[in-house]
Amino acid sequence: MSLAVQMRGIGKSFGAVRALDDVHLEVEAGTIHALVGENGAGKTTLMRILYGAIHATDGTFEVKGQPAKFRNSAGAIRAGIGMVSQHYSIIPDLTCLDNLMLGAEPGWTIDKRAAEQRATELAQRMGFEFDWSAEASTLSPAGAQKLEILKLLWRKAEIMILDEPTAMLSPADSDALYGSLKQLVADGATVIVVTHRLPEVMQHCRDVTVLRGGKFITAKPVAETNPAELAELIVGHAMPPPSVRSVPDNAEDLLRVVNLTVAGHRGDDAVKSATFSLHKGEVVGIAGVDGSGQRELFQALMGTSKLRHGELILGNWSLHEHSIAERLRMGLRLIPEDRHEEGVVEVWSLELNAALGLQRFPPLAVGTIVNDEARHQAANEMARRFNTKHGGIRQPMASLSGGNQQRFVAGRALFLTPRLILAFQPARGLDIDATRHVYEGIYEECEKGAGALVVSFDLDELLQFCDRIIVMNGGVVTQPNSRDRAVIGRHMVGVAS
Amino acid sequence: MKIWALLAIAVGLVYGALVVAGAAPADTAQSLIQGSLGSAKALEGTMKHFTPLLIAGVAVFFALRAGLFNIGVEGQFTVGALVCAVVALRMPGWLGLIAGILAAAVAGALWAYPAGWIKAMRGGHEVISTIMLNNIAGQLSTAAVAGPFKDPNQQGTTTASIDPALMLPSIWQDPRISAALLVAVLFVIGIWRWLGRTVPGYELQAAGANPRAATLAGIDAPKVTIRAMAISGAIGGIAGALQVVAYEGRFFAGFSSGYGFDALGVALLAGSNPLILFPSAALFAILAKGSTTIQVMNGVPKGISFVILGLLIVIFAAIRYRKVPVKES
Repeated sequence: MSLAVQMRGIGKSFGAVRALDDVHLEVEAGTIHALVGENGAGKTTLMRILYGAIHATDGTFEVKGQPAKFRNSAGAIRAGIGMVSQHYSIIPDLTCLDNLMLGAEPGWTIDKRAAEQRATELAQRMGFEFDWSAEASTLSPAGAQKLEILKLLWRKAEIMILDEPTAMLSPADSDALYGSLKQLVADGATVIVVTHRLPEVMQHCRDVTVLRGGKFITAKPVAETNPAELAELIVGHAMPPPSVRSVPDNAEDLLRVVNLTVAGHRGDDAVKSATFSLHKGEVVGIAGVDGSGQRELFQALMGTSKLRHGELILGNWSLHEHSIAERLRMGLRLIPEDRHEEGVVEVWSLELNAALGLQRFPPLAVGTIVNDEARHQAANEMARRFNTKHGGIRQPMASLSGGNQQRFVAGRALFLTPRLILAFQPARGLDIDATRHVYEGIYEECEKGAGALVVSFDLDELLQFCDRIIVMNGGVVTQPNSRDRAVIGRHMVGVAS
Repeated sequence: MKIWALLAIAVGLVYGALVVAGAAPADTAQSLIQGSLGSAKALEGTMKHFTPLLIAGVAVFFALRAGLFNIGVEGQFTVGALVCAVVALRMPGWLGLIAGILAAAVAGALWAYPAGWIKAMRGGHEVISTIMLNNIAGQLSTAAVAGPFKDPNQQGTTTASIDPALMLPSIWQDPRISAALLVAVLFVIGIWRWLGRTVPGYELQAAGANPRAATLAGIDAPKVTIRAMAISGAIGGIAGALQVVAYEGRFFAGFSSGYGFDALGVALLAGSNPLILFPSAALFAILAKGSTTIQVMNGVPKGISFVILGLLIVIFAAIRYRKVPVKES
């Protein structure tokens, strides 16, 4: 058995922050190796060191038995290492073929026909199919992930690093992806998967390495562990039992979505005659792969896009006839998808950001005058609610990490007695404890009579935290009558019934 | 702290520039100060620059807070001055003075409005549209005082003059300081309080800093943009009007000596704090007035003041807009 990758005593400091400390990683050639840990555990940092994107402060590593020291990613690529990061690097306006070749063109001139032939051969080997002349913007998330893997093969990578490869995929697509990876491994490749989804680790990987807080915790064959033990190793303490919630079946409707049709950005219908309701006190999860119309549904609820058809009724109030400002006054609160662009003003202090969206409501304003004192207190309270780590609430929002911004934004959304909470990927960037805290915060508001709609691309998260799950697929809302993962998975790809 | 840093840069640059120009730095700096602050007459001249720079600076500053780079203050200043002179000359007494200033505010707002509308509704950049509006304002106002509003009793392209007794009074004699200064100071303080203390002020700055987040916070960002541009234009128009009723008494072709453009520098140096408009406008005014003295006394070309201001703004912008390293998440 030979080692494809051996990293020893890796340390990395960003200024005063010790992101990695004495971390080891041994990956056997021809296997799928899982690297697990919470957000901020250092998984991605370790992989970026291996990929030559950043340099380790301490430690050494060997690739295929050879000491390696990459000046940059180009060096790593020459050594046969490839990496697909969490955010795809595909340029939507280019064709699939152009994306495939980008940065690794065969020469100064490009023979498209020869290139396409080689691309097709690579795809066939993996059992993929591509329309090479189509724009990459037409790809589904699963298609984009496949193209990313082909990009690695195009570059002749033998050691592939995949960072959260299934984050955007449906259960069926995830299984198919691992099927392809197993085939690659059978052909002699080595795969390192960075993930936080334990079922995947248990089902598809041979070995697992656990990191926590930038430190190496353990490495063992998957066969010798179980999900409960892994979860405990990842978090560092025993997991508390899931909180028990009971939602009265006969609770009155809080929100009714009736025959809702919303235009997508290409002019097609992104939400198609959706009808469902949310009861008072209920947390409803919306499952579905990315781009199934969740975004447009939320836009319609918030008021940033117009309805083509249908009604939105909150209590006995026609939501869709009112402005965003009026909806906020009625108690709509959003935890937005993109906190940088939609949730905060990054150059502003936490204190100023505390009022964003609540700026007209007492106690933050008295009439049209800003109440500094109240805003100051509110900011402190919002930061405290989900343990936002910050260097003072007068510091700019940009000084916070993404996860901490998310905590603050969640704290703000729950601050002034929300009535309808719209949460788009509320756990994004949060560790397991923080995710639970945010959901518990949402439960608290629900017990006071609010309701919550949660969109997540992580079905396991929804299964764990939501009272009921509905599914969106191609703009159509379906309501599975079971909480079975496989049943919901079939709804997500539209093969239910 | 920020002001001291700024002052340090300014002093260094003054010295540096003078050395380059081949003059004795200490002597030249002395005549610069002497010529701008050293006597009642010098101070009077500096104040004449300071007042319009300050108000026009407020106009630019206000738009900047709303995320708009209003290069059109020069045009709004010109249109405001023309309209003020025309109205004041046609109405009797004090009524003319007040009506003239109000009309100038309306004219400035209307002159800025298209730029705001195009930006908010069509995404057209306000820099382009305001530059074009500046050119139109310059040509139209010249045509106006060459044609319909020309004083038939005079050779040049100018309106008639307002009765000096009906101009804006002074609040101080020797050096004579016009009440326009008071108006300017009130504007700065008013804007400072409005932006910092009121909900509309907060919303305007939110729309300027992140329109998407502002929209989700219930703020009608396009409306705020259009309104902010119009208000900025109104302030620019008032700056022009005050120049007529406080100092010139008339409007003539080539009325503005570039106050609207200098105001861009004044506002940029102020950063996000309106109170820094005071030292910032003072710096511009002192250099504008003092540079005439150093040309006469020390033989240093007057243009050196522009070199200094230009360097200052470049250095300041380099510090202020430097790239902040992206955080590892």
